[in-house]
Amino acid sequence: MMPPAQPDPRIDQAAVTDESLLAAHEKLLGKQPDEKARYRLLPLAMLFLFSGLIFFGGTYLGRYAGHFSPQVYNENAKPPKPGEVQKAPPADPLVVGKTVYNGVCIACHQPTGQGLPPAFPPLAGSEWVMGSEERAIRIVLYGLQGPIKVKGTDYMNVMPAAGPGSSFNLSPEKVAAVLTYVRQEWGNKAGAVAPEKVTEIRGKEGNRAPMTVADLEKLP
Amino acid sequence: MKNGLVFFLGVFAALAISFAGIVLGSHAQLGRLAPYFDENEGQAFPLRTAGIATRGQYVYADLGCAACHTQQVRRPDFGSDQARGWGERQSVARDYIHQPRPQLGASRLGPDLANLGGRKPTPPTEADLYKLLYEGSPRHPAYQFLFDRRAVTGEPSPRAVQVEAGRQIVPTERAQSLVAYLLSLNTPYDYPEARPVQPPAKPAANAPAPEKPAVTPIPAAAPDEKQPLPKK
Amino acid sequence: MTNAPTNVRPEVAARAVSAEVTAIDAHARWPILFLLGSALGWLVISGVLALITSIQVHSPAYLADCPWLTFGRAQALRETAFVYGWAANAGLAIALWVLGRLGGYPLRALNWAVVGTLFWNVGVAVGLVGIATGDMTSFSLLQLPRYVQPLLAFAYAAIAIPGVLAWGGRRTEGTYAAQWYGVAALFLFPWLLIGAQAVLGWFPLRGTAQAVAAGWYAQGAWTLWLAPLALAGAYYILPKITGRVVPTYESAPLGFWTLIFAGAWTGGRHLIGGPVPAWVPTMAVVASGLLTFHYLVIALNFRPIFGARGTAAKFIRFGLVAYLLTGGLEFLTAFRGIAVQTQFTFLSTAIEQLGLYGGISMLLFGAIYYMVPRLTGNAWASTGLTVGHRVLVMAAVVLLVVTLAVAGGSQAADLLDPKIGLGDIYGRIRLALLLSSGAELLLLAANLLLLVNFCRTACVCRTDTATTPLFQEPGTLEVHVS
Repeated sequence: MMPPAQPDPRIDQAAVTDESLLAAHEKLLGKQPDEKARYRLLPLAMLFLFSGLIFFGGTYLGRYAGHFSPQVYNENAKPPKPGEVQKAPPADPLVVGKTVYNGVCIACHQPTGQGLPPAFPPLAGSEWVMGSEERAIRIVLYGLQGPIKVKGTDYMNVMPAAGPGSSFNLSPEKVAAVLTYVRQEWGNKAGAVAPEKVTEIRGKEGNRAPMTVADLEKLP
Repeated sequence: MKNGLVFFLGVFAALAISFAGIVLGSHAQLGRLAPYFDENEGQAFPLRTAGIATRGQYVYADLGCAACHTQQVRRPDFGSDQARGWGERQSVARDYIHQPRPQLGASRLGPDLANLGGRKPTPPTEADLYKLLYEGSPRHPAYQFLFDRRAVTGEPSPRAVQVEAGRQIVPTERAQSLVAYLLSLNTPYDYPEARPVQPPAKPAANAPAPEKPAVTPIPAAAPDEKQPLPKK
Repeated sequence: MTNAPTNVRPEVAARAVSAEVTAIDAHARWPILFLLGSALGWLVISGVLALITSIQVHSPAYLADCPWLTFGRAQALRETAFVYGWAANAGLAIALWVLGRLGGYPLRALNWAVVGTLFWNVGVAVGLVGIATGDMTSFSLLQLPRYVQPLLAFAYAAIAIPGVLAWGGRRTEGTYAAQWYGVAALFLFPWLLIGAQAVLGWFPLRGTAQAVAAGWYAQGAWTLWLAPLALAGAYYILPKITGRVVPTYESAPLGFWTLIFAGAWTGGRHLIGGPVPAWVPTMAVVASGLLTFHYLVIALNFRPIFGARGTAAKFIRFGLVAYLLTGGLEFLTAFRGIAVQTQFTFLSTAIEQLGLYGGISMLLFGAIYYMVPRLTGNAWASTGLTVGHRVLVMAAVVLLVVTLAVAGGSQAADLLDPKIGLGDIYGRIRLALLLSSGAELLLLAANLLLLVNFCRTACVCRTDTATTPLFQEPGTLEVHVS
């Protein structure tokens, strides 16, 4: 069929009718009215190309999709192994302890750890702080009342409880952290306190009234 | 294609599969993204913004600021974003979870704003931003409709951009919330997924997340270097 | 008034008219002309807005005092008027006409189409006012305010009804490629819009998942809606004016399905390097790779257009080359190594304009130039306006794309170097941006010519078509299948 000459730019002439257009293209797709639907195969080259694109896509996805993990923002990264949980960086007891100290203890014991004689005893250089862990933990957990001698000076005051269940409600990790902190700050040199020890002591003592010096001296 | 029903189902399936895969798939991954609680800081990141700053995001959206400004910092080996001081690490999805309408932007006629409130050495002040919005610059339009002209009664307003002859130019509520929003844009916290990673080809000397024993007496370094600690 | 071709014998003329211009066209005349008229009106309006935004890019002080036309809002206005005003109306007109013609019966339920067109245009107008007063959604290609979007979904469905009925009730059992593309666009757009509204408007997703959904919609609107509408017209006109069957037609079904299945997965290409998990842009790269097969099939199918003559053929040639070029460039810029440079620059704008203006719009123009004489029964009113529009619009699109690409290339190279400040970057590309404003001015002028031409053509109604041999007698398309 010769294409029409199209002499006039204002109108385009049609070369073929719609019916013949439809019929001819149906024939190309291999479907005659009396035939069952049968698809004419693509040229082999096109089929190979299409398969090649699928293959490219698959390998690209395998390499660069980070195994579809939501944690992977860099396509070059190794994705986290299945089941591996991104561990949070471990909490640093000194940082936590300092935060707790600044929130809970600082009002009485002061930022310098010197306390406010004669009302509040110092923590810097205090034998109670650097001494037995059993005693120090109980002081923080349950508070202290009654007379106490710290660094040669007598104090008579009430220290509120700070452990779980008290108004401060510090968790065992926070109790351990604040003790670890004060035991190495302001020149103090004593070992860290483990949260497991705090939990163990709390398990032994349960809920109880604030400590007194007499109770503390019974402990190792 | 003869069968109309099959055709219709095919077309519908194509769209439905892509919707499920892309939209619902990313929703499944990002929709449950929770703030990241940092034990050391004792709070969850990203921090929430004050109300006026949240309203400011709507002003930003309705003025179409995203037509010229992006709010996404790319990773260091992907463009010069970090070298230009626009951010210290790449932006990740967690940075945007508290934003009702993240304005990522698609065009950089102006600088990236993701960390405007955290620019080093000093972030811009409110006064700087009000001045820019009122007077414009050779590269930035002047949005004078965001400001009101009022008589000075008593003291001029501390937020006045210009005061002359008993009249002052003060920012409207919209301008104030917009500036509060812009100054609240800051993503300092270093999430695990935002840290630079080693490509798998190189021998992985360090894994993406540092692995240390649970509690050591005096551990070495904290994730943010706010306080130097005595090392044992 | 018209120049009747002199090589048609008068006794053939009467039959010719009835073979080429049938009752189908007479019946569908006013609804489709209404759609086309609205389309061309919106084209001019979006041209004015495009001129304004292109001036604001190099001279930010222009209209800065006017809150309605601040750059961010003006961009949204331009984009909305172009896509939802011009491209939607024109594409729907073409799809309905082609489906009607190939269906073999006059279109039914055209009243729905008229009502739908009215509400669609009212919706777009209300949407534009909403954007100008500050209700834009800030999602690319979906800036229309939330309150207008459901109206548009229903209006579109109303306009689509005659097309779907024409396809469902067609005379022949088999369908031709133009019908697949046309009816797919009619089905897919409302679903796309409703899906996007659901996750962005009514139940907004959290954080950057919104950006992923917005990208899904934007790419879907391009590959699943606009491209099929344009291709429907082009596929119909191709054998009609060349008189040959479409070569390599056996691949056309796979080309179609590749577009439909892979098209929507390319949504992540706007988020490369962005705050989304890496698999989202990677899927977009893979889908863009698959889409190259569709472009190859289109290239193979449309080979004969390069030898054809006439106005429609010229537009379709240009549109085809631009469409294929856009596809290739989108594939290339989806790779991260290249995206790092082209992202956020005028290069993306250039590719977008190449696709929307150079590709889709040119294919729509070609179909319009072919269609209107058959609908109205007249040739186009003026040769001068026809040729003038064609030359101006092609030159302007080339100028626009080239200047934006030059600006984008310079910007891309400079953005990568942190020592070059943003002010310097824009100082260097100012000239290119000025020229692009010139191109927008030319485009506006060209489209005004088309609007005038259309109004003059459509407003002259020929009632007596039998005696004037306007159309040659079309022959029969023969194919020999081995």
